[in-house]
Amino acid sequence: MTVDAAAAPSGGHHDAHDGVPNYLTHETGWKSWAFTIDHKRIGLMYLWSVITAFILGGVMALLVRTELMFPGETLMEADTYNQVFTLHGAIMVFLFIIPSIPAALGNFFLPIMLGTKDVAFPKLNLGSFYIYVLGTIFTLIAIIVGNIDTGWTFYTPYSVGRNVTGADVSVVWMTLGVFVLGFSSILTGVNFIATVHKMRAPGLHWKRLSLFIWGIYATSVIQVLATPVLAITLFLLMMEKTLSIGIFDPQLGGDPVLFQHFFWFYSHPAVYIMILPGMAVVNELIATFSHRKIFGYMFVAMSSVSLALLGFLVWGHHMFTSGMSEYSTMVFSALTFLVAIPSGVKIFNWVATLYEGSISFASPMKYALAFIALFTIGGLTGLFLGILSVDIHLHDTYFVVAHFHYVMVGGTVFGFLGGIHYWWPKMLGKMYNERWANVAFWFVFVGFNVTFMSQFIMGSQGMPRRYYDYLDQFQPMHMASSGGAYILGVGFIIMGINFLRSWKSGEKAPPNPWGSAGYEWMTTTPPHPHNFAETPVMIRGPYDYDLCTELELFEGFHEDFEASKTSTKKKKKKA
Amino acid sequence: MTYQPPEGTLQLPPQMSTIAPEVDAMYYDIYWISVAFTVAIYAAMLWFMYKYRRRPGRKAKPTGHSDALEIFWTFTPLILLGWLFHAGFQGYIAGVYAPEDSIEIRVKAQQWLWEFEHPGGVIDVPNELKVPVNQPVELIMSSADVLHAFFVPVFRVKRDIVPGMYTSLWFEATHLTGPQTCDDSTPCDDGETCYWGSCIPTCESDADCVPALGNASFCGGRINDDERICAYPVFCAEYCGAMHDNPNTSGAFNDPRGLGRNSNHSTMLADLRVITQEGYDSFLALGPPPPASCIPADDPSCDSEECLTCWGQVLATQQGCPSCHSTDGADGTAPTWKGLWGRDRTFEAGVAGVTADAAYITESIREPQARIVQGYTQAAMQPFRLSDKQIAAITAYIRSLN
Repeated sequence: MTVDAAAAPSGGHHDAHDGVPNYLTHETGWKSWAFTIDHKRIGLMYLWSVITAFILGGVMALLVRTELMFPGETLMEADTYNQVFTLHGAIMVFLFIIPSIPAALGNFFLPIMLGTKDVAFPKLNLGSFYIYVLGTIFTLIAIIVGNIDTGWTFYTPYSVGRNVTGADVSVVWMTLGVFVLGFSSILTGVNFIATVHKMRAPGLHWKRLSLFIWGIYATSVIQVLATPVLAITLFLLMMEKTLSIGIFDPQLGGDPVLFQHFFWFYSHPAVYIMILPGMAVVNELIATFSHRKIFGYMFVAMSSVSLALLGFLVWGHHMFTSGMSEYSTMVFSALTFLVAIPSGVKIFNWVATLYEGSISFASPMKYALAFIALFTIGGLTGLFLGILSVDIHLHDTYFVVAHFHYVMVGGTVFGFLGGIHYWWPKMLGKMYNERWANVAFWFVFVGFNVTFMSQFIMGSQGMPRRYYDYLDQFQPMHMASSGGAYILGVGFIIMGINFLRSWKSGEKAPPNPWGSAGYEWMTTTPPHPHNFAETPVMIRGPYDYDLCTELELFEGFHEDFEASKTSTKKKKKKA
Repeated sequence: MTYQPPEGTLQLPPQMSTIAPEVDAMYYDIYWISVAFTVAIYAAMLWFMYKYRRRPGRKAKPTGHSDALEIFWTFTPLILLGWLFHAGFQGYIAGVYAPEDSIEIRVKAQQWLWEFEHPGGVIDVPNELKVPVNQPVELIMSSADVLHAFFVPVFRVKRDIVPGMYTSLWFEATHLTGPQTCDDSTPCDDGETCYWGSCIPTCESDADCVPALGNASFCGGRINDDERICAYPVFCAEYCGAMHDNPNTSGAFNDPRGLGRNSNHSTMLADLRVITQEGYDSFLALGPPPPASCIPADDPSCDSEECLTCWGQVLATQQGCPSCHSTDGADGTAPTWKGLWGRDRTFEAGVAGVTADAAYITESIREPQARIVQGYTQAAMQPFRLSDKQIAAITAYIRSLN
């Protein structure tokens, strides 16, 4: 029953579109990429960047898991191990997962799904990309010059490293890198908010917005409001480190718990910067592959917004054992439980969307269904950690590690992978091999669960996190977890080869291979340099499958805009 | 003597404290609630995936809308969540405020070492925590350098240790950690020595039991050693780093695997032993026992001069005495110990004719500033809190240097 992507009815007439200009080929040469203000090209550059970061962070993860296969020294010394897990965390969080969906897929599809030509501030958009590159360079300097081993949280006073054995000057480079990356995040957020407010195509009112847009919009709000706090925190940390001003270091009269408050005031909302875009992608996938509008559209849209707001009120749940007052602990625990409500609303509505749908199990949908399954586990194990008495036992153990990997990988990364599989044909105009995509999916799905399910058990048994060495009793679980990580790694390699083969010699993609009613499938493939030859008028919502005929779904709506092909030349400006 | 240790489950370690059963009950409540939700969600998903799979002629029905359903699943979970919060908070508060009759143990954490100071100022050997059974114990914790966290999985307790402030936690142990009490009629198992009524792991050689510090063998490395519970681990749960480059080993450090380097966050372990009240009382009176390697078979309570001398040497090293007091006659910042025993002392205050005997050495350890030997005003020795037995051991060691 699976609709084979490559075999999806594509008709013969997409060949006729060869004359339509597309954003990939209408300009050539490195300058056309380096100085482009086309959001699609910028999105693609982000995509390659975050994938590179992901590969780097993934190699670090495999090094960590290899070291932990056996107790004692397996591969590296303790200092090296501490640096490797720090880099795994920092690279994955700051260089990969935060920019992954919003900056790469969001940049590419947000304007198209709004039926507009570009983001509100195209030059700012390019600027954001170069700020990201600059931040990455600082981070790489930190990796090369030193031995940063503070963990991605930079907890003081260890990170300040005064009168204790601690991290050296590379902390300054690393925090400077993250500080700069934050500006990229903020500017992208501002850009997207402005675009959603001001650039919607005629007929595209708020209640017709794709849920992808709603998710990215909510994310952008958090990015704009929360990231400055991280910037201030890291700035103070740099000042503390270089000028000894005494904010966080108790030897100088500072307070290390204050750093934790500041840090999580950003980094908890950042969890929603990471997960909301994943949820946003899943909305699109479920709608497309069930051929059905998401059930409770407005509730799902508002749940993203309420997650964004609630996310600001629960940072203290990272600090239940930190020594803050019992009253704070109580309030943060109570508020934390509220987060379960909008998360639950999403899950229930997604499942309800499947009801009476017409469900295809193409590879992107597999990732979406896996997302629901894994995020359910990730979310419910969050309740374990919200319950104060239980959290005291589980805090800072592998249970927490497993929990946030179920949310960040089982959630965001699966959403990201689903999104790439879904939009790859639109972005690059090539199909990939569906059979190998499925093989890769199963490797990734099984490998992921083996890796992290064993960590739940280890954690509840009391294995603390960030341990280089461990008691012999944990060895079987560590072995299982490492084995799972290798399966996961094999899955990613298969996936990578499949995409590379597609890019090089994949079959030409039809404009709408999945039969989606989404707006982004209305344009040609790869998209026109200006997204649409003429500004489209939205006469139906992006999920109104009942208003589309079967022919429209698979043959594509581009027909409507093809007539304008001849008029593109006179409209063409410097892109 | 057989000992049946409490058993854990697949998910949770053994319950060894009064709060552990409550925490576990809460854990399993949320566990089964989660299982129920997961099964329900998965079942619905799988059923819909099968029933509404795309096949020729299958067309999706337009999505309806149901405010009632939305409001139902938005607000009903609140009741459950409210209960979870309430129950969890109750359990938490029960673990926060120590009972009135708790005894206080001070915990000093530093990279990468635990030190426990018991009532009366008895400081145990590093990385060794003895607590009495069925007695509430409150830990008052401080850190000398970075963040640490005290974590005992079998007690279900954890608390960060923050430099610049005191944090505390309490627990009441409900089970002994091993075959603890012993006397002539009830000897210890193989591999253990009966010492002051408690069984203590025996070591084959110094290397076994004196990894770096001279404390008893690193039994905490194994929860289960051939059915014999030695000790349960105390973990540091808050990341506290590692040593860079050339490790400075002048301070004591924990090196359970004998690598001789790379002390770090993961080696900051202590042995937790739950002992009888009698055993604890004798520990408070006598101080920590000597290293098992010093104890000869015919002298289990370490009364002989040989045993005391051996112990005294280990203690002096642990306490850092040789950094000021030489043992070879060389002049340091403080008087040498060689030939000290029985010699007449002359003090700064001009008093002379005091012989260096046991009483004098005891005073010099406990109140070093009371009488300063002539010519050593620059020596700023701090008082050391050692038990009478420990002082006897150091005295025996000094005596042996004559």
